[in-house]
Amino acid sequence: MKDHHISPEGSRAAESLADTELTLQEMVLQSPDIRDFLVELAVLAASRLSVPGNRIHGGVTVLRHKRPEAVASSDAVAHALDEMQNGFGDGPCLTALRCKATVLVPDLTAERRWAPYVRTAAGKGVSSILAVPLDLAGEAEAVLNLYSGCSNGFSGDDIGTVEAFAHQAASSLRLVLRITQLSEARNDLAAAMQSRTVIDMAVGAIMAENRCTRDTAFAILTKASSTRNTKLRDVAASVIASISGEKQISTHFDV
Amino acid sequence: MYSEGTGGPEELNDAAEQRRGAAQRFRDTELPLVKLWTYYYGIGGDIDEVSLDAYLNEALDLPAAQVGLITTAMAEMTEGDTE
Repeated sequence: MKDHHISPEGSRAAESLADTELTLQEMVLQSPDIRDFLVELAVLAASRLSVPGNRIHGGVTVLRHKRPEAVASSDAVAHALDEMQNGFGDGPCLTALRCKATVLVPDLTAERRWAPYVRTAAGKGVSSILAVPLDLAGEAEAVLNLYSGCSNGFSGDDIGTVEAFAHQAASSLRLVLRITQLSEARNDLAAAMQSRTVIDMAVGAIMAENRCTRDTAFAILTKASSTRNTKLRDVAASVIASISGEKQISTHFDV
Repeated sequence: MYSEGTGGPEELNDAAEQRRGAAQRFRDTELPLVKLWTYYYGIGGDIDEVSLDAYLNEALDLPAAQVGLITTAMAEMTEGDTE
């Protein structure tokens, strides 16, 4: 029978997936940066799975320059656990991150892998751990870490829910990454335009004063910058200030 | 100022040495290419991003003035890291 009808549970699951998608979309639009988005993500994942008597703590670890960093968490407990694992350099979440596969530790007292970390985590009251990697198509690497104080704190359904959630969250995260990169590139370009105006102006001034070529003027500026241990842009600004007294050269442009 | 193929063998070796050093430094900094290019452009650089990429992969020679600006850009961008 259940092949022919969508069971009430199935339709509820579908509804909650659609819900999640809307929530994630809102989060993408409202998060000012990646860290904020990841905090929202950790909070959402933790609250989705928490039930009375089994509170779930969530955290996100990101690989940055090949080093794991606990960048976001639903609460201080999760943050401390993530940090601790990164300190040990090994644990279920880092394994999930490296192998790009879900890792479940149903009962820490029965776990033989990652002994130093597992012992310490158990000492902090953790009984089960679920780690699900976020597939970011090579743009970055991240893992969603969930901790429960109960042994077998994650059911088979929970794992399915978290994996589906992680899949959706990964798409949203890629969008956030893309947006952040674009706005960063835009800000960098704006800064470059400002800086280049000042430098070009100073180069022109040096050319006029020394009756020299542009390359020579650049060489003079670069030499002054390295002997004074001052940024090229600041040396250029001081050249202009010494000629005209103008301290603020600004470039206006619309993007 | 430009030494385009007019230098003796010694000068060419110097340029190659410098290029290798720049490529090595770029790999060490782990800076994204586009960030370096934007900064380099901001201090007056004239070479496009693709040519910069080629230079940093030791596949293209650049005029000395541009090499100087690339070196300056890398130095200024990594200054903040050690502070």
